[in-house]
Amino acid sequence: MPLFDYSLLLTGKYHDMLVAGLLLSLQLLAASLVLALPIALVVALLRLSPLAPLRWLGFAYVEVIRNIPLLAHMLFWYFGAPELLPEGFKQWLYAGHIEAYSAIIALALYTAAFMAEDIRSGIRAIPTVQFEAGRALGFGFLATMRRVVLPQALRVTVPPLISQTLSLWKNTSIATVIGVAELMYQAGQVESATFRSFESFAFASAAYLTVSLAITGLATWYHHRFPVRTI
Amino acid sequence: MVRASMSLGERTTMRHTLLAAALAASALLTGIAAHADQLADIKKKGELVVGVLGTDEPATFVDPKTRQIVGYEVDLVNAIAKKIGVKPVLKQIAVAARIPELQQGHVDLVAAGLTHNKEREAQIDFSLTTFVTGQKAIVKKDSGIAEVPQLAGKKVLTIRGGTQEPNIRKAVPTAEIVTFDTSQQAFQALQQGKGVGYVDDEAALLRSYAKLGPQKAQYVVLKQNLSTEALAIGIKKGESGLKAVVDDTLRELEKSGEAQKIFVKWYGPATASGFQTRDFKLESDKID
Repeated sequence: MPLFDYSLLLTGKYHDMLVAGLLLSLQLLAASLVLALPIALVVALLRLSPLAPLRWLGFAYVEVIRNIPLLAHMLFWYFGAPELLPEGFKQWLYAGHIEAYSAIIALALYTAAFMAEDIRSGIRAIPTVQFEAGRALGFGFLATMRRVVLPQALRVTVPPLISQTLSLWKNTSIATVIGVAELMYQAGQVESATFRSFESFAFASAAYLTVSLAITGLATWYHHRFPVRTI
Repeated sequence: MVRASMSLGERTTMRHTLLAAALAASALLTGIAAHADQLADIKKKGELVVGVLGTDEPATFVDPKTRQIVGYEVDLVNAIAKKIGVKPVLKQIAVAARIPELQQGHVDLVAAGLTHNKEREAQIDFSLTTFVTGQKAIVKKDSGIAEVPQLAGKKVLTIRGGTQEPNIRKAVPTAEIVTFDTSQQAFQALQQGKGVGYVDDEAALLRSYAKLGPQKAQYVVLKQNLSTEALAIGIKKGESGLKAVVDDTLRELEKSGEAQKIFVKWYGPATASGFQTRDFKLESDKID
């Protein structure tokens, strides 16, 4: 029975490959999260907008995106969407890291749909009188949101958003299908080069778990440091 | 209602039962490990489970009309199953899963464009060589690339988990390699210009090239072979009984001329692969 070979994971070429994969996965997480949050906020506001067409737009975004598997999004943003770009720009893009860009767009749009729903629930958790009071003071819809409702709502929203961030972190692994050299991709490469399946996927699992636990830890800390004030 | 507490006597009995169970379990495990004759198992269950790609035309692919997996390797496997006297069951597996599936016993054989090389000999056994192909690169004409070394620093697309990637890495260490789950995806990426070159076994590559139709003029297949691959059927390590049957079947196919017929049917001049001659025979399980 072959033993668990730690040396493979701790030093050498395969260690470097796995670490490079982990770093790229973290970059995917960071870039998609930074993009997803503002999109989610805008979509949530669209869904609560006083104007019906804007509400429909928000509704359509959320339903279309979250009801299609992420895998399909990935393949669409890699194989489909970039083909519609103008020729010159397309070639410039393809010469660079098109895989990673496509993955980030797919992950950001996908995660934003879920986060938008969480933010919307957060906003709805703030008593309507708060909103009405803001309007009574003469603020418009956006100003009321920005100055009165959102500062309270976002605190309520943090725990579910953290949960979405965990999903996002694990979803970065799907980018492997479009050839992004993230952690699962590298684990697969190491596996086929060394036939050490258990070691390479043990590394990947441990890495996913560690980062996930760190995100959860952050959430707990935030919750203690900035407890929900109203309601 | 769950029992809240146990008497001392009960606890001792329970410990004994646990110990006995553990012993029984370990005995069972050893029993499985010591059990070696896969051929007898295959006969007993009446089916030969074979891992195939199903995406590798014309070796194993889904016939669009019948929705059945057909191809060169399928014909060989059918002959082997017939020889054993059981029903062949094809199971589609991914390129990277070929060796693990075999080692874990999920499939009895792997007929999936599997390259026979020295590194893999430590993991599994191989049948007689069933196909010999060079691995080549195809590029777009307007890239101006005419020789393999010119791929240096360029993005090259291929399939993951096979020998294509290590081979192109060896031939052009500085190439930036992007891999996909299937050859179709990798080839699609080439067509869209997401890489400069695409690497695959010659037989498969020519097939993809033929499918381009009139667009063929925009592509060039580079002449130089990145490597020569001997493909074979994978067998679990140490299953000598099974290997003997597989090899015997292949030898008989060669002797009766059936092997030649199967080759011509899938790779011959009338097919998209268009091989004029067959430069190998099903006769040896040795590689250089």
